[in-house]
Amino acid sequence: MTRAIPLEAVLVVAAALFCIGLFGALSRRNLVGVLMGVELMLNSANINLVAFWRYLEPRFITGPTFAIFIITVAAAEAAVGLAMIIAIYRSWNTVNADSVDGLRG
Amino acid sequence: MRDVIEQIINTTFGWGWPGWAISLIGYLIVAAILFLIAPFQMLFLTLFERRAIARMQDRVGPNRVGPEGAWQPLADGVKIFTKEDIVPDSADRWVHLIAPCVVVAPTMFMFAVVPWGPGMVPVDMNIGLLFFFAISSVSAVGLMMAGWASNNKFALIGAMRAVAQMVSYEIPAVLSLLSIVLITGSLSLVDLIAYQGGLFISSSDVAGVPDLGLGWFIFTPVGFLAFIAFFIAALAEGERTPFDIPEADSEIVAGYMTEYSGMKFGLFYLAQYVLNFLLCAITSVIFFGGWQGPGVGWLYAQAITPANPGGGWIFNVLAGALGVFYFLAKTYGFFFVMVWIRGAYPRLRIDQLMDFGWKFLIPLTLVNIFGATIWVALTKWGAAEGLAIVEGWSPMLRWAVAFVVTLALNLGAYLFLARIFAESQAERLRVDDEVLERLTNVA
Amino acid sequence: MDLLIQIIFGLLTALIIGAAMMVVTVRNIIHAALWLIASFFGVAALYLLLEAEFIAVVQVLVYIGAISILILFAIMLTRHISGEGERLLTRHWWAAAVVALGLFGAVLLPTLAGNAWGIPLPTGPAGTPEPLSGVEELGRGFVSEFLLHFEVAGVLLTVALIGAIVIAFEERSRRRRVLTLAEEHTLNQRQKASAERAAAAADMAD
Repeated sequence: MTRAIPLEAVLVVAAALFCIGLFGALSRRNLVGVLMGVELMLNSANINLVAFWRYLEPRFITGPTFAIFIITVAAAEAAVGLAMIIAIYRSWNTVNADSVDGLRG
Repeated sequence: MRDVIEQIINTTFGWGWPGWAISLIGYLIVAAILFLIAPFQMLFLTLFERRAIARMQDRVGPNRVGPEGAWQPLADGVKIFTKEDIVPDSADRWVHLIAPCVVVAPTMFMFAVVPWGPGMVPVDMNIGLLFFFAISSVSAVGLMMAGWASNNKFALIGAMRAVAQMVSYEIPAVLSLLSIVLITGSLSLVDLIAYQGGLFISSSDVAGVPDLGLGWFIFTPVGFLAFIAFFIAALAEGERTPFDIPEADSEIVAGYMTEYSGMKFGLFYLAQYVLNFLLCAITSVIFFGGWQGPGVGWLYAQAITPANPGGGWIFNVLAGALGVFYFLAKTYGFFFVMVWIRGAYPRLRIDQLMDFGWKFLIPLTLVNIFGATIWVALTKWGAAEGLAIVEGWSPMLRWAVAFVVTLALNLGAYLFLARIFAESQAERLRVDDEVLERLTNVA
Repeated sequence: MDLLIQIIFGLLTALIIGAAMMVVTVRNIIHAALWLIASFFGVAALYLLLEAEFIAVVQVLVYIGAISILILFAIMLTRHISGEGERLLTRHWWAAAVVALGLFGAVLLPTLAGNAWGIPLPTGPAGTPEPLSGVEELGRGFVSEFLLHFEVAGVLLTVALIGAIVIAFEERSRRRRVLTLAEEHTLNQRQKASAERAAAAADMAD
C-alpha cells in the first residue's frame, strides 16, 4: 500500500472530501443535509489521521486512537444535532435552515 | 487450504504462479463453498421450522412433495423464481431494487469469520467478533431502504420498528459478548473457541484440567448470564417470535416486505434464515465451544498442522468431520430452541420490547461486565497487577472463589433488577389506566 | 500487486468522491442519506487498504450502523415537508462553492507543484515497518497514555446521550396517545355506562 500509492494521493482524496462536505454544510437548506456535510468533513479528517499514521508513524498508536476519538465526537454530535433538528421541527414545523429565524428583530 | 493449492499448482503442475494468485484462488474456492452452503441451509431450515412448528401445534405440516415433504423447499423456490416481480407505481424504483441486496449481502459477509471446525475458518481475523456485529448492523440500512422505497404505510412502520429493535438490541448483545471478551482477552473467534477446552472448568483458567473440549463458557456464572442476555438479543436481532413485531402479520401485513414479491421477497426470506442460522452459530461458538467436544482436541493434535507437520492426514479429516458435527449439532439445537420459543410465546408489544431491552437487559449485562472483571482478577491476576492476596491460593481455589463471587453478584443483580423492572411496569400500567380514566371522565 | 492496489484505490476514490458529490447535490434528502452511506462505506474500505482494520470495522459499526440510521430516522420524523418543489440550496450557495473550491485549490496546487511541506516519505532502507493495527495496543493505549482523553470521551458520550434525550423529549401528557383496541373498547363501554347513568339520573330528577 505505502509503496503503490503516495501519501499525497490519499491526502488529496481527504481534501476533496472535506471541501465537498464544507460546500454541503454551507449551502444545503435542509438542516439534516447540513449535518451530513459536517459528517463528511469529520470523515475526511479521519482519513488524514489514519493516512499520516500509516505512512509516517506506524509504530505508534496515536493516529488510530485519535481517529477513534473523532468517531466518538461524531457520534455525539450526530445524536445531539438530530435531537435539535427534531425539536426545531416540532416548534417551527420546518427543517429549512433559513426559515428558522425566530431571533430576527 | 492455501498450502494445498500451492502444492498442486506450483509443484505438481510446475506453473510457478505468484503467491497472491494462489491466495486469490483459495479465497474464491472457500467463498464459492460458503455461497453454495448458505441457500441450502436456508432451504433445510425452512422445512425444519415448518415441520417442527406443525408438530407443536398438533398439525402435520408440509408432507406432500417428496418423502415427508423433503422437496417442499425446492417447490417453494421454483414458485418464488417464477412469480411476477411487481414494483408499486409510486415506489422509488432504484431503492426498491437495491434494498434486498443490501439486506442479503451483509449476512453473506458474516460467514467470513465463523469457524466450522478445527483449522476450518475462512478468515481468522483478530477482530472477528467485532466484524461480525459491525457487518450485521449494515442490514438495518437495507430494511430502512425497503420500508421507505415501498411508499406504503405498513412497510414504513415495519421498517421503523425493525430498525429501532435491531439498534436497541445490538447494545445488550455486544455488552454481553464484552464480558466474554474480557475473560479471553481476544476478539478472534478462533481464540474464543481455543479457550474453551477442559472439563466444565476451562483449562485456560485452571491449568491441568483434562481437555475433553467441554470447558464452555456456559458453565461459568458470567457466561451463563451473558448467554441468556445474548440469546434474547439474538431473538430480537433475528426478528424471531416473541420479537417479530416488525413483520407482525396481524397488525401491519408483512412489515417492510409488504410490497415485495417474487425473488426480491425470496431474498428477504433468505437473509432472515441465514441471519438466524448465523446467530445460532455464533451463540454456539461463543458460549458452547463451537467445534469443541470430546475427542476433537485429541484428533486434531495428531493431524497435520503448522505446529505438527509430521501428523497423519486422516486425522485432519476425522477431526474436521467430528468438529463440524459438534458445531452443526449445537447450532441446529439452538435453531430448534428458536422454533420452540415461536411455538410457545405470544408476540410482545413494541413498548414492552423497548422497555425490556433498555431497562432490564442493558443494566443486567453491565453488571455482568463487572462480574467478568472480578473473574479475570481472581483467576488471572497476581502481585504484578496489585492483587497479592490471591497469589498464594491454588488455581482450583481461585477458580472456586471466582465462581462463588460472580454467581452471588449475578444472582443478586438479576433478582434486584427483576423486582425493579416489575415495579416499573406495574407503575406504567397504573399511569396508563389513569389516563384512560381521565379520558372517560372528560367524555 | 502494486497495479492491483492502485486500481482498487482508484475505484474507492471514485466511490467516495462521487457519492459525496451526490450527497450535496441530489434533491431528495433520503437519496442524499443513502449516498452518504455509500461514501462511508468507501471510506471504511480505504481504511482497510491502509491496513487499519480496527478503524475500518469501527467506521462500519458507528457510521453505517448508528449515525446513518439516526439520520434516516430524523429525516423520516421530519418528512412532513420533504422539500421536493423547493429550492435545494441557500440563496448564497455560490459563495459556499467559491470557498470550498478555493480551499481545495489551495491544498491541491502546492501538492501538485511538488513536495511543498517537505514531509519525508517512508521509503527508508528499513523497509515497511510493522504497523500496529492490533486491538490490544489500542486498548493498552486507552488505559495508559490516553487515559484522560478516554475518560473525557466517555463523559462526552454520556452528556450527549442525556442531552439528546432532554432536547428531543416530548412530555407524555402532550403526546397524542393512540388507544389500543382493547382500551378503545373499555372507553366505549365506560362512555355508554356513564351515558346510561346520566339518563337514569335525569329520569330520577323527573
